[in-house]
Amino acid sequence: MKSASQLKLGEKVVIKNIDSSHPSSRRLLEIGFTPGQEIELINSSVFNDPMAFSIRGTLIALRRNEAGCIKVE
Amino acid sequence: MNLPATARSPLITLVGPPNSGKTTLFNYLSGNNFKTVNYPGATVEYSLGKFQSKFSLKAILLDSPGIVSLIPNSPDEVVAVKSLYSHPELGPPDLIIVTVDASQLSRHLLLVSQLKKSNFRIVIALTMVDILQRKKLAIDTIKLGELFSCDVVKIDGRSGKGVDNLISKVENIFSSMNHKSTESTRANFCNDTNDLIDTFNKIEKIEAEVLINLVDPSQLPNISKANKQLRILIDPKSKIECNKIDARTLKIDRILLHRIWGLVTFFAVMTLTFTSIFWLAEPLISVVDSLFSLLSSESLKLFGYGWFGDLVANGIISGTGSILVFVPQIIILFLILGLLEDTGYLARGAMLIDKPLSKIGLNGKSFVPMLSGFACAIPAILATRTIPNRRERLLTIFIIPLMSCSARLPVYALLLAFILPSDKSWLGGFLLASIYIFSIVASAIIAGIINKLRNKLIKEEDNSSFILELPAYRIPKFKVVIHNTITSTTSYLRKAGPVILTLSLFLWMLTSFPNINPSIDKTGLTKDEILNLTKAERLSTSYAADLGKIIQPIMTPIGMDWRVGVSLIAAFAAREVFVSSLALIFKVTSDETTLQNSIVSAMRNATVEDTEQKLFTASTIIGLIIYFIFAMQCLSTIAVSRKESGGWRIPILQILIFTAAAYVFTFISVNGLRALGWD
Repeated sequence: MKSASQLKLGEKVVIKNIDSSHPSSRRLLEIGFTPGQEIELINSSVFNDPMAFSIRGTLIALRRNEAGCIKVE
Repeated sequence: MNLPATARSPLITLVGPPNSGKTTLFNYLSGNNFKTVNYPGATVEYSLGKFQSKFSLKAILLDSPGIVSLIPNSPDEVVAVKSLYSHPELGPPDLIIVTVDASQLSRHLLLVSQLKKSNFRIVIALTMVDILQRKKLAIDTIKLGELFSCDVVKIDGRSGKGVDNLISKVENIFSSMNHKSTESTRANFCNDTNDLIDTFNKIEKIEAEVLINLVDPSQLPNISKANKQLRILIDPKSKIECNKIDARTLKIDRILLHRIWGLVTFFAVMTLTFTSIFWLAEPLISVVDSLFSLLSSESLKLFGYGWFGDLVANGIISGTGSILVFVPQIIILFLILGLLEDTGYLARGAMLIDKPLSKIGLNGKSFVPMLSGFACAIPAILATRTIPNRRERLLTIFIIPLMSCSARLPVYALLLAFILPSDKSWLGGFLLASIYIFSIVASAIIAGIINKLRNKLIKEEDNSSFILELPAYRIPKFKVVIHNTITSTTSYLRKAGPVILTLSLFLWMLTSFPNINPSIDKTGLTKDEILNLTKAERLSTSYAADLGKIIQPIMTPIGMDWRVGVSLIAAFAAREVFVSSLALIFKVTSDETTLQNSIVSAMRNATVEDTEQKLFTASTIIGLIIYFIFAMQCLSTIAVSRKESGGWRIPILQILIFTAAAYVFTFISVNGLRALGWD
């Protein structure tokens, strides 16, 4: 399944689920990365890591590794 | 320990997610009237205050650390959440004011609904309404209040707008409240993620109900009156609108987070910050410096030249001076950091630097503390509290003393003046920059090595993560920034001041006793010469000198003798004391234009005792520079490091590793240079 870490700049997708085996998964849910939400890759730092996503009207920077546990449709 | 709720003023706790304007509101409500305390047995910090007298509200106000949810995620959050339910000393709160960023309703209402589930009595303080308006949206506070059955107030903690309304709501609650405070029961939030998703689904419905699409922005000022009429105009798209990112922020980020321009701006901002820390502070530092020299010499005249006068002049006044001399730099540092933070740029800087820092076991969030380390390690170590991962925080604390703090500057200036030919003084700036770059590279290498050995040295298993909200850009409010600068500076002075002063008094004793009134041959000497000779004699027969002679065998291999050793011991009070102590021990009299020139010429003439061999040569001076780059030469840093890391492990490792590194590298460079014939 495709994950948020594979998005291209400006690509909008809907979150399918969060890989619950990742240690950051609950924190990601708590800050709003819930299934059904639309996210967009807004910016990414040099080396594509960290990446900044728009979620629920704000920008959140995540490490590539953490974005990897956000599975998208 | 719990006081019954009736026996004390009511306790109001401020709760809110990071970036929700919680601390800004706290500062506005409490004025300067608060103290920062640690939870018992933890390094988690909170502020305790009273309401400013103009609000005439008698209550204890507690600012808790920012939390995203009531399910703790780190050891620090466990402490924060536990104390929210029942504070170890103050008991459960009578009322919680929860700050909610109106422009991020769906994210911030999670905490509200969890607080509600736990049966807390709450008031919602809606912040950032201006950003919501920029998105052409308004919020129906009455509806929101009905849905959560609590009061909702729009506030702006930066200008104070709406705060009076908040206060009157709080007063109403208190007057109608029966004094038997309702026991908040800790709702059992299970780790089940479906539960969270459910809560979010409910919140999204609430959000859709309370957000109003502003059809006509010209009606903004009358929004509360217009609410009822506007409700019929609710646009079904309002949810989508509120999930749009602030357009201005996106535009600015297109440059500031750009792959190339982002890095260019980042380095430009950093360079500017650095240069201003040094150049803006320099005139202020010399004012403080000369003020304290004046005070010192005046008090010597006043109290006489005996031990008491010396204690006042060189112990107390110089000790206080050595704390205050860094205040200009610290103020400028906090001012710049505050401005950068208030605009929203600091979070971007942390994001840009996260990748390289994670390679050496640090975190993007280590960046601000490390930057502060170039002014002074003490506020820098205090700033590491924002790093959630404990292992990364300990490694950041560990590495901070290697940042070239401003106390090293006078030492480098003196040493560079010695090796530079006077006609090539322009080289000084270049060499100084090289020292800085060298120290950055060296600290990165050391952090990398420690990180490789991490399980042996820093035993903390924590999930390394970097999740950071990039707040919308805002024009900074200078009043708020200046207020925060003053608070941080006074907090630095309160924390570091007593430690530094005690240590400088201790070192004064070491360098003055037992021979406080040495007998010297005064014939044919002027008053000043007698004074200088007395000081020099006192130091060279002091306990510090005895210590210096004990460490002589250690100093010899690196080409130095006990007199340098004494100065190095004295420099433990503060690194720049090295300069004045050298001046004392080489019996420098200010017959040249500046003190620095006099010390340099005295150093040029100094020979290794009982020989003709020159003590200071290019190789020993370069060795000393190397020594100061690495050595953990600051007792106050050791004290703060112990306190903030919660034990002796980190400071002892710092002393051992940095001192060993300093000694070995000095040994290699001195003897290497001599072998190359570059003496």
